[in-house]
Amino acid sequence: MIRWMTVIIALLLLSYPAAGQEPAAGKAGQDGEPYIYTDWECFTTESTHGGLINDHIFYIKVDGEKVWFATEGGLSMYQNGQWTSWTEDDGLPWHVVSSIAKDPTTGDLWIGLFGYGLARFSGGYFEHFTQMNSGLLNDVVYGVTVEGDNVWVATTAGISAYNTVTGNWRVYNERNAPMEEVWTYSAMANDGKVYFAVWGGGILEWDVATQSWTDYLDPDGEMEIDLYRDDGLVHVITTSAYYIDHTLWATTYFGLSRYDGRNWRGYMDIDSGLPSNFLNFVVARDGNSNVTCTDKGVAMLMDYASDTWVTYARPSGDAKTWTAYVMAGNDTLRTVPTNLSLPNHFTIATDIQGDDVWIGTGHGVARGIGKEFWSGLKPVESGKEQRGGFSLFNIFKKKE
Amino acid sequence: MRVFAMKRSAVLLLIPGIVVLILSIRSFGAKNTERVYVGEKVCRQCHHQSGGRNQFNPWRLSAHAKGWAALAMPEAGKIAELSGVAVEPFKSPICLGCHTTASDVEDWERDETFRLQDGVQCELCHGPGSEYIDPAVMEDPDAARAAGLRMPDEADCMVCHREKGSHVAVLNVKKFDYGEALKEIGHAGTGGPLEIPETKPAEPSEGPRYVGPVACAACHDQSTPRHEYSKWRYSKHAQAYAILGTEQARDIARQEGLRSDPQQTKQCLSCHVTGYGEPAGRFTETYDMAQGVQCESCHGPGSEYMAEAVMRDPVASHQAGLQKPDAANCRGCHTDGIHGHSFDPDSMWAKIDHSRWEDRTYSSVEYKTPFNLAITSDGSRLFAACEASNSLMVVNPKTRQILKEISINDQPHFVALSPDESKVFVSNRGSDNISVIDTRTYRILSTIQVGDEPHEIAMNPEGTRLYVTNAGSYDVSVVDLQAGKEIKRLAASRGTWGVDRSRDGTKLYVTNNLPRYGKFRETSKSEVTVIDTRTSTVEKRYTVVGANLLQGVAASPSDDFTLFTLIRTKNLVPMTRTIQGWIMTNGIGILWPDGRIDQLLLDRWDDYFADPTDIVFSKDGKYAFVSGGGVQQIAVVDIEKMKALLRNAPEKERREILPNHLGVSNEYVVKRIDVGRSPRGMVVSPDNKYLYVADGLDDAISVVDLTQLAQVAIIDLGGPDTLTTARYGERIFHNAAATFGRQFSCHSCHPDGGIDGITYDIEPDGLGFNPVDNRSLRGINDTAPFKWEGTNPTLKRQCGPRLAAFFTRIDPFNADQAEALDRYIVTITMPPNRYRDIGEDLTPTQRRGKQIFERMYDNSGNLIPKNKRCNYCHRPPYHTDRKTHNVGSASWLDTHGTFDTPHLTNIYMSPPYLHDGRASSLEEIWTLYNPNDTHGMTNDLTKAELNDLIEYLKTL
Repeated sequence: MIRWMTVIIALLLLSYPAAGQEPAAGKAGQDGEPYIYTDWECFTTESTHGGLINDHIFYIKVDGEKVWFATEGGLSMYQNGQWTSWTEDDGLPWHVVSSIAKDPTTGDLWIGLFGYGLARFSGGYFEHFTQMNSGLLNDVVYGVTVEGDNVWVATTAGISAYNTVTGNWRVYNERNAPMEEVWTYSAMANDGKVYFAVWGGGILEWDVATQSWTDYLDPDGEMEIDLYRDDGLVHVITTSAYYIDHTLWATTYFGLSRYDGRNWRGYMDIDSGLPSNFLNFVVARDGNSNVTCTDKGVAMLMDYASDTWVTYARPSGDAKTWTAYVMAGNDTLRTVPTNLSLPNHFTIATDIQGDDVWIGTGHGVARGIGKEFWSGLKPVESGKEQRGGFSLFNIFKKKE
Repeated sequence: MRVFAMKRSAVLLLIPGIVVLILSIRSFGAKNTERVYVGEKVCRQCHHQSGGRNQFNPWRLSAHAKGWAALAMPEAGKIAELSGVAVEPFKSPICLGCHTTASDVEDWERDETFRLQDGVQCELCHGPGSEYIDPAVMEDPDAARAAGLRMPDEADCMVCHREKGSHVAVLNVKKFDYGEALKEIGHAGTGGPLEIPETKPAEPSEGPRYVGPVACAACHDQSTPRHEYSKWRYSKHAQAYAILGTEQARDIARQEGLRSDPQQTKQCLSCHVTGYGEPAGRFTETYDMAQGVQCESCHGPGSEYMAEAVMRDPVASHQAGLQKPDAANCRGCHTDGIHGHSFDPDSMWAKIDHSRWEDRTYSSVEYKTPFNLAITSDGSRLFAACEASNSLMVVNPKTRQILKEISINDQPHFVALSPDESKVFVSNRGSDNISVIDTRTYRILSTIQVGDEPHEIAMNPEGTRLYVTNAGSYDVSVVDLQAGKEIKRLAASRGTWGVDRSRDGTKLYVTNNLPRYGKFRETSKSEVTVIDTRTSTVEKRYTVVGANLLQGVAASPSDDFTLFTLIRTKNLVPMTRTIQGWIMTNGIGILWPDGRIDQLLLDRWDDYFADPTDIVFSKDGKYAFVSGGGVQQIAVVDIEKMKALLRNAPEKERREILPNHLGVSNEYVVKRIDVGRSPRGMVVSPDNKYLYVADGLDDAISVVDLTQLAQVAIIDLGGPDTLTTARYGERIFHNAAATFGRQFSCHSCHPDGGIDGITYDIEPDGLGFNPVDNRSLRGINDTAPFKWEGTNPTLKRQCGPRLAAFFTRIDPFNADQAEALDRYIVTITMPPNRYRDIGEDLTPTQRRGKQIFERMYDNSGNLIPKNKRCNYCHRPPYHTDRKTHNVGSASWLDTHGTFDTPHLTNIYMSPPYLHDGRASSLEEIWTLYNPNDTHGMTNDLTKAELNDLIEYLKTL
């Protein structure tokens, strides 16, 4: 008996949030209202008459007033209501565009081509780099990012770094980097760091100042469950990383992780506003909020401290529009209708343009208009907070 | 309990993983081999012993041991000049590669016992010795080979000893005979017992001690004008000990009643070795008796005067024991009649005297070669960037007097004034920087590093930013003048050359000399790059079809179009149609605001306008002036007539016919003005009365009256009156008079002595067959044979009658012209390698690449056949064995498969690659065109390893 009591107490202690983790600053749902995107513009190839060259959206890159879209059928750009597209007829080396990065110094656009390398788009001309004609490691390019003079490329065989000034190529794989796997899914550079999501290999961090690597793995080492919560990365099958305000966000196929340099926090569909654990991408405005793409909608963490989410999803298979679910952790406080009408809520890409947010799905893109946007929570008038009594998780469980 | 058990087992499972991780982390930065060069002194411990183990003596008496010292001789400087080597021989990787050992390796690969000053020593032939010097390893041939011991063969020797034009021209040496040479240097030993005596360091005695010449060389080496160490090393004094090991020495000893080995006999050693007979404590660790009669024989033991502070004080150094010898001192050993020789101290003294500074200026004639000009807004000063004299000349254009000449390094090319004219900026093509000069004091205020081979300069209207075109790195440097440094690099196209700013200041138009990379045998497409000066980003890239060598550019004063120079090379058809103008035509491009590009020729059907170089507008925009570098003329283009022609032409004619029409230039080229040789940059005077033209090969500036449209004066920049052979050759090189109709010059295909980046079909190989890539002329003298087939043993043959028959289509060069052309071409310098300075460490990537380049085993551990190893054909220092090989690179268009091995010096500068230019990058040589490992064993390499190899190749 004593032995079993010991086990139970030990389990309780192990499941208690690790020492040093911040408790929620306030009670979810009572500290204020998150912003809800109710007004959306939707674009499909059909609705834009081919302006958006293809509906399968792999990446979105906001570039000031322009928004670039990497699609399965080419490259598209939206600016002030106008669409422009490039296909192979326009010199785009390959129609499957997987990723886009902008060099803020030179203005050049770097384009990842899925199966045919990398292109520099500058002054209307595409310069093509492949594994055959350059030091690019592999033509299956998943992600690209720019850090200083370097263009970092995430490929299926590892990482390439091209210095645009010296013309040197560097290669990183299991030989010279702590890579458990080499299948690199995404690349993201900010504030002296470059992050890579390595499918099956966790998150890889390159520190520009020290020119050294750090890897983040799931300390559990378990592929099936997250054994110890918040002990590290929630899973090693990662899909993207985003670094801002000294905070790292990482999406995996088994949930979301946040790391502030000291503490990890894991999120899953059973305890957060995530409608699913199968996550494709994340961007963030700051360390306390993000936009996460899942296979079952978009989850926006609006306030880290109170764990307030607004999740957008189609409530049913035949729903015409998406619904916004205001959530505190996994509890739905209320629902709000939106006019987001894309037929597919498998979201793959997202980016933030000022107060607006763009999402890319398997069937078109949508832009959430952030009219009178506020970040975090806005204080509510007394008596007007609402509580729901159901979990978004349960909605999807029922559907399954 | 189950939880704890799991945790323990988890920990246990983790341990191997942690160990693996630690080991793998350790391997991230580890070197694959630790072999280092140890130096001849270490080899000598075993290989300088009596019996059958004395390899030291024959080596020390050979020219090999003097290899390093030879680079300090005046002849070496002359040879370097004829090899296109721009630096002093003892600083050139090319010269050092044959004249010493391990000059191209990193510092860590040379042990502290190794000395470059020992010239061509054991390990150049036998490989770095650190792992095979162990006698136990050396005794086992297989083990020794596995540890890196090489036994050279004729091919190894011929890498350096194959005839070099530069050496023949200066030294007039006889042709190298391998068999005879082997007899001279052969040092096969017969083995025998090995004795390595133990030496205990002696207790240092008081007073001055002998330090040895290597210690002296720390200061008195090639870094000083007198090159004392090298001069000594080149003399017989340095061989004095080794000579005691010869049969002749033994004869002399026997005649004098000495039976023992002269190298161990006091009577011999007392004259043949410095300090012999002194107590052991009088020698420092650096002393080496095998160096023979050394510095301190004459100057006294140096331990107390060798410090620089003492040496520079005549009194102190004398007190510390420094002696100033004279011829009388020699009598101590050089007694009259010694060994049967008379001794004349004065003549012998002159041979070894190293007390006077020697003039090491190899070229006594220095031309100016003005390239580009700038003029102040009041017209009172004209600035000329002079490449050959490394100077900026300031001239009063009205009085035509030279006001100032400012020395600048290296190869100043372009000059631009700041908006307030307080500063002038000069691009230095040879040193990759911009000189900033005060126009009042003419002092160089600063130097700003930019990209590779900077050419032209433009400024933004505010004068806060410079834009510099870099022909070598294919980009534009953006320089912040307040910060005094480059802040970004904008990718242009290939061979980025000229730049001009729109009149409203918002745009820069940049020309690119080489066409874009394209598919094999595709029509050339070149680029005009447009930069927005407000954001300093590339706004647009315009494609110019069918043209290359875009150089000069000028935005019209009205800002409604931009002109640029171009050449239309018809490289896709065999070079047979010279008479019909179907080799090269020369003209201008017109870029309109809507992006449309027109092309018009400046050629006439019977008199072409070769090498259009620069273009400027008259102040009123009425005319454009184009300098014809190959025809000694300025073409005057009437802008209104040009516009009218285009306006009135039907669309199809405008698009397809006018760019090739040799019969219309008279409609808009109203005059051709004769000026001096090789006209280059131009400026118009502020009052629009004169056009000033840099006559590059006359060392002058032509003054053209714009009313008369004629040359009215010449401003002499003060170049020498002497016409050297090389200068004569340079004039021939840049003069289209050598071709039918003055269609093109040598420069047309080899701008800056380099490449035009395209492939040709030359008639003698068969029409439509054997296309060949154009090769660079930089630093090629000692890389014979020439031609891709390797059938031309000399450049004179290359530029001889066949050139006339198949290229120029008129009379061939006479003997003097051929000689002069040859002399000029060999002096075209190879710029420094931008990926690695001499002596700089390799990056980890480059180091891995070097190991692959030198590897003997493939990734499966199999021995790679010699002829499939990279360094078998591509041996340093030029990285060619100068032989022809069949590497399986022939295509269906080739009638044969054997080609000359190209040298790899600065190979990154000359894409495309392979004999027919099929490979647009170094990678493609092996990713696309080596499916069967015929061009080296590479298919076992991973992509990452291939990348390492490429990064290393770029450093050669």
